[in-house]
This record gives sequence, C-alpha cells and structure tokens, in this order.
Amino acid sequence: MAGKGASRLIQAGFLVGLVVVWYLAATRWGVNRLLLPNPVAVYDNLFDILRSGEFIDDLQTTLGELAAAFAISATGGVTLGYLISRSRYWIEVFEPLFAAVYSIPIILFLPLFVLFFGLGPASKIALGASISFFPIVINTIAGFGHVDRLFVTAARSMGASDYHLFRHVLLPAASPVILTGLRMGFTTALLSIIGSETLASLAGLGHRIVHLAEAMEMARMFAYIVFVVAIAVTLNAIVSRLEARGKRD
Amino acid sequence: MATSEAAIRVRGVFHRFGEAGEQRFVRALADTSLDIAAGELMCLIGPSGCGKSTLLNIMGGLMAPSAGTVEVRGQPVRGPLPRDIAFVFQENSLFPWNTVIENVELGMTFQGVSKSARAARAAEALAAVGLKEFALHYPAQLSGGMRQRAALARALSLKTPILLMDEPFGALDEQTRMILGEDLSVLLAQSRKTIVFVTHSLGEAVFLADRVAVFSARPGSIKQVIAVDEPHPRRPEFVTSAKFTSLRNQLYGLLHDEIRKAVQQSTAPDTGAEPA
Amino acid sequence: MLRSLAQRPWLMRLIVIAALFALWEVAARFLVDRLFLSPPSQVIASLDKVFGTRGVPAALQLTLFELTVAFVLAVAIGLALGLAIGLQPLVRRSFFPIVLLLYGMPQVTILPLFILFFGIGAASKIAFGVTHGVFPVIVTVVAGVQNLKPILLTGARSMGASRWQIFRHVIFPHMVPSFFAGMRLAMSGVLLGVLLAELYVSIAGIGYFTTLFTQNFDPTKLLGLIGVLAAMAIVLNAVVRRAENHFGRWRAE
Repeated sequence: MAGKGASRLIQAGFLVGLVVVWYLAATRWGVNRLLLPNPVAVYDNLFDILRSGEFIDDLQTTLGELAAAFAISATGGVTLGYLISRSRYWIEVFEPLFAAVYSIPIILFLPLFVLFFGLGPASKIALGASISFFPIVINTIAGFGHVDRLFVTAARSMGASDYHLFRHVLLPAASPVILTGLRMGFTTALLSIIGSETLASLAGLGHRIVHLAEAMEMARMFAYIVFVVAIAVTLNAIVSRLEARGKRD
Repeated sequence: MATSEAAIRVRGVFHRFGEAGEQRFVRALADTSLDIAAGELMCLIGPSGCGKSTLLNIMGGLMAPSAGTVEVRGQPVRGPLPRDIAFVFQENSLFPWNTVIENVELGMTFQGVSKSARAARAAEALAAVGLKEFALHYPAQLSGGMRQRAALARALSLKTPILLMDEPFGALDEQTRMILGEDLSVLLAQSRKTIVFVTHSLGEAVFLADRVAVFSARPGSIKQVIAVDEPHPRRPEFVTSAKFTSLRNQLYGLLHDEIRKAVQQSTAPDTGAEPA
Repeated sequence: MLRSLAQRPWLMRLIVIAALFALWEVAARFLVDRLFLSPPSQVIASLDKVFGTRGVPAALQLTLFELTVAFVLAVAIGLALGLAIGLQPLVRRSFFPIVLLLYGMPQVTILPLFILFFGIGAASKIAFGVTHGVFPVIVTVVAGVQNLKPILLTGARSMGASRWQIFRHVIFPHMVPSFFAGMRLAMSGVLLGVLLAELYVSIAGIGYFTTLFTQNFDPTKLLGLIGVLAAMAIVLNAVVRRAENHFGRWRAE
C-alpha cells in the first residue's frame, strides 16, 4: 500500500530534520551553549558515562527504590483489592474513595514524606508505594468484582470449594485486569520515584540530572536524560510484554 | 402498478474489490443487467455475498462499478443523487448525538431544503411512520424497530422519487419485521415511489415486491426475475394464500443451491478463476 | 441502624473517612513525635496561620492562575493538533506514533531543563503543565474522529452533505464526548505538571513554602498548605468531570 511507505518516510524525515535543526541551532545559529548543548558533545558524554560506569550507583539507587516501592504496593494493593472485592457493599464504599484520592496528584505529599523519612531512599519508596498502590487496588477490585456471576454459579454447582473457586475461577478471570493494574502501578512507581528524586533527594538518577543542571553541565545532563528515558522506555516495554504474556496464558 | 418507463437502468455491471492475487480480492458482481420501472417495488434477494448490497450502492452512486453503466431517470449515475435517491440502511445509521427529529431535519439540511420547510416536513414524515410522540427521543432510547422507522422517516422527508433500502428490517425480530412490512406496504401504496429493497427473507420479498430479482452466488448476476402480480397495499391475508406459498416455493427452489454454494465460498478465497 | 447503613454505602464511606481522620488524630497526638506529624484538629485550627504567612496567598493564587492558563492552552492546542492529525490519514499514520511515543516519555526528567529554559516564574510552570496536558487531548480527539462508524459517513454522503457539512454535523459532534474525556485527563496532567514544577522551584512560589515548612519541621503548616492544594485539585477535577457528564450525554447507552 502506498500509504505505509509514505508515512514511514515522513516520520524518518521529521526525526532526522529535528536532529539537524538541533545541530545547527547549537553550532551555527548561535543558541547559547548554556541552553542547548552540541549534540555531538551529548553523544560523547553519553558514551563516557556508559563506558566509565559512572551511572551504576545512581541506577542502583533508583532501581532499588523502584523494586521496594512496587513490592509494597503490589502486595498491598492486590491483597486489599481482593478482600474488598468479596462484597458488593464494600466495593461500593471503597471504589469511589480510591478513585477520588487517585485523581489528585499525590506527589503533593512528598514534602511530608521528606519531613518524616528524610532525604534518603525511604521517602522515595514511601511515595512511590503510595502512588502506585491506587491503580493496583482499583484494578484488582474491578477484576475480581466483575467476574461473571455465572462462572461462580457454575463452579459452585460442580462442588468447588472456596480455594478451588479462587484459584480456578476468580484468579484466571480477573488476572487480565489485575495485570493491567500492575503494569500501570509499575509505570507510575517509576515516574513517581524519578520525580521525587528530582524534587528532593541526595542520590539516584533524578537527582543526578538536577545536580548537573545546577552545575550547568548541559551536555552531560542531556546525556543522562537520554539514558534515563532509555531505561524507562525499556522497563516499560518489558513490563508491557510481561502483561501481554500473562494475559495470553 | 408499474408504468412502462424505466426509472433505473442497470447495464452490464461488473464489480470487483481489490486486484487479482491480493488477499482481499473478491468479484462481487458479474454482468448484471436490470430495468426497474418507475413506481414499482423491486426486491433483490440472494445468498450472502452475492453482491446485492454492492449493486444497491452502485445504483445510488455511492460506488462506481468496475465496468458497466447505471442510468437513473435517463441520466448516467456519477455520484450520490440526493434529490433523486434516498437510502435506508440496515441499522445504526441515525446520528446518536441527535434526537429523532434533529436526525430527520439534518437529512434535509444536507439535501438543501430551506430552513423554514424543514420542520413541517419532519413532522409530516414522523407522523407517517407513527413516531410523532418520539420526536425528542435519542436513538439509544428507542427499540430497533422504532429506530428503523425513524430512518425511514428521514428518507421519506427527502421526498425523493426513488428509495433504496438495504435490508432495513434485517436486524429486527420476526414479529417487528411483520408489522413494519405491513406498514411499509400501506405507506408505499399511497406514495407511488420507485423502491429497490434488498432482503434475505423469502417471505418478505414475496409480501412486499412487485417483482423479485433472484441473484446467483458470488460473482453475483441475476438468475431470474419473478413477478408478483398482486395489488398494493398488500393485505395480511395474502401471506396465507396459495399464491403466496407457490411464489415462496419458487424462490426457495431458485435460491437453495446458490445458498449452499455461497457457504462453500465463504471459506475459500476468490482465486479469480471462472466459476464452475 | 445497621440496616440503614447497609442500604447507604455513601454513609459508610463517610464513616470510613471519619475513622481515618480519627486514626490520624490519635496517631499524631499519642504515637508520633509532634515534629513529624500533626493531628488534623491542629491542622485545621492553624489554617489561618498558613494563609497569614506572608506570600502564601499570593503563591496559591499564582498556582491557580498557572493551572487555568495551562489547562486552556493544553486543550486548545490539543484540539487543534488532534483534528489536524485525525482528519488526514497520511498525517495520522506519520505523526500519531510520534505523539504516542512522546506521551509515554517520563517528562519529569526534563523538568530541570524547562526551568533552565523558561526561568523560575510562571512561564515554566505553565509550559510544563501544557506538555503534560496536551497529549491526552490529542489522543482522545484522534480516537473520536477515527472511530466514527463508516455508515454514518455513507449516510451523510448519500443525502448530499458537503465536506464542511460532514465535518460540522457528523465528525465534530461525534468527537465531542471523547474530547471531554480527554479534557478530564488533561486536567490531571496539568495538575501534575504545574505542581511538579512548583514543588521543584524551591526559591519561589509554593515550592518555597513547602521547603520552608519542611526545613523548619512544621508539619502543621505543611499539612495545611498541602491540604489546600489538594482541595484545589479536587475542585478542578470535579468541575471538568461535571462538564464531561453534561456534554457526553449521548454516549450513555
């Protein structure tokens, strides 16, 4: 089809054009070096960061916070979600509450967590867990709550126990929605942690970018931005793949 | 009764979708010719995929045929003819964000009817189909049968001499179809429009039509045209008469093998080879 | 009484909220050091002191201003871009993947960059809010234009509608509910973007006061300020949701 080739061409042209404009702006058109670094310098810095392994400490900090936060919110969210979903009444009580809280930017509470836990990883983990808890619990409630009653009736009529019902009916029926919630929770946790490192931290990838910005080391900062975006995109892609794989089974 | 001038003249129409060798290649119509007289109700009936809806779209100027010509009232068809032809589709053709009366008036806006005339014509059309009390309802609030009445009202309000109806009752249950079919027959007896009506239902075809064109399986062409010599409006008793049964049996005989052929075709792609 | 509770989940909801506040009150009074947590009673009683702190009302007003401007800009730009991309198949196939890519990007990584580019004033906050809010609008507008059922277009064409008539009477009304859903998401995005930027800049605006209260170990005032901002967010979200319910009516089937 003629269309497909044309659109790819336009996309490629657009992206290449963007890089070209960036290069010209930084080198020929006199845009302040302190605002826009030379793309070649950015590339060199990126290479240097990767080669020297400078990124490892910050990456470890960030990923560690992410793992801890997600572990907390996932176990808490799924457990609480399941417990609430067992009764229509409690679903009706809690679901709007969770939705309402999730609709405000919980990052607002970061200063409180910093006050409580200090500038170290604990405050980031607490915030990350708090924010990512909500999509997980909301989706878990939706998943278990919307299992077709017909399935439950059929299973009970064949003599299924509570455990059988959970393992062979509720869990498989609810898992696509729960997996989506877990993916959303993971993505949200990652964003929240990088965000809170940007706002108030002594370590981690978010903090590193801020540090370089304050030192006006533009090329290196840009390099770290590229690095962090690449990490985020990769992690999200992995998680999406896992979600799809989980749904397929 | 039909007069002798042809309102619609179809000559040697071929139509295919895609090119030979592509996955989506389908020969829909092969060498189809048909004359539809002014004021008659012609039913097109045939197995699934035989091209009857395609022919309807070509007649109405929504599609250009791969080969062949169509003339409406003596003029060749080159695009939609909103002043001559109005469509009634199978379902979901009403705009869901407008009320029933807004839908009817919007049709006239498109056609170019002046603003002052729209309200009166809309009210008249809705009354004719029995939806006067539902003018301010949204399509989602109506049953399937009522939605199709509204679609019919929209088409009637355009006051076109020709009406093309593509399985308008196809999505409805049998009881609703029966009622709508009887009401349609009464309406059309009064208006003397030319109507082409595509249907799957043998009984519906015999009940409504002056003539029935029977299609073969894909690539469709007209196998035979049967005349139903019975005055409009058709009385409900016609359905139980011997004449009705005999005509219906005739249609069944013509269609049965084509239907079987069509079912086989639906699982095999069109290779472009000539049909057996 | 239990029976009437069982029939009124909203009442139970209020009780749950009240219970949580009570828990907070008890924990803050007896379990946790006053340096780290204040009981809600004290927070509410001290709200006037928060507003009395010099600069706080101005900072709150400025934040509200930034939120409003960013929202309007995000919606307007999003609508324009969404229509431009959605209406032309070639443009859509080329640029929609790029839009989706940008939508998924962790924008918080370029927050320091925005501040460097646009300064510590309102401009950077508004800009950061717009970049967060514009993408959901583009995506929902494109979806609203795209998933128009072909039969509606065919019907309009058969009745003689011109291209402009088709846009005005078919495509546009069809897209409106999606557009309003996009606006709801845009408000969430704008809230996130503007507040992130505000909190980041610790030498002016809201960020100055959150930093100040944190460093002074004043959880009372901090909670008060956060509470006001949270209330602002809730109200803004509710307004947009109301608008969505009102204008998305025909979708309710």
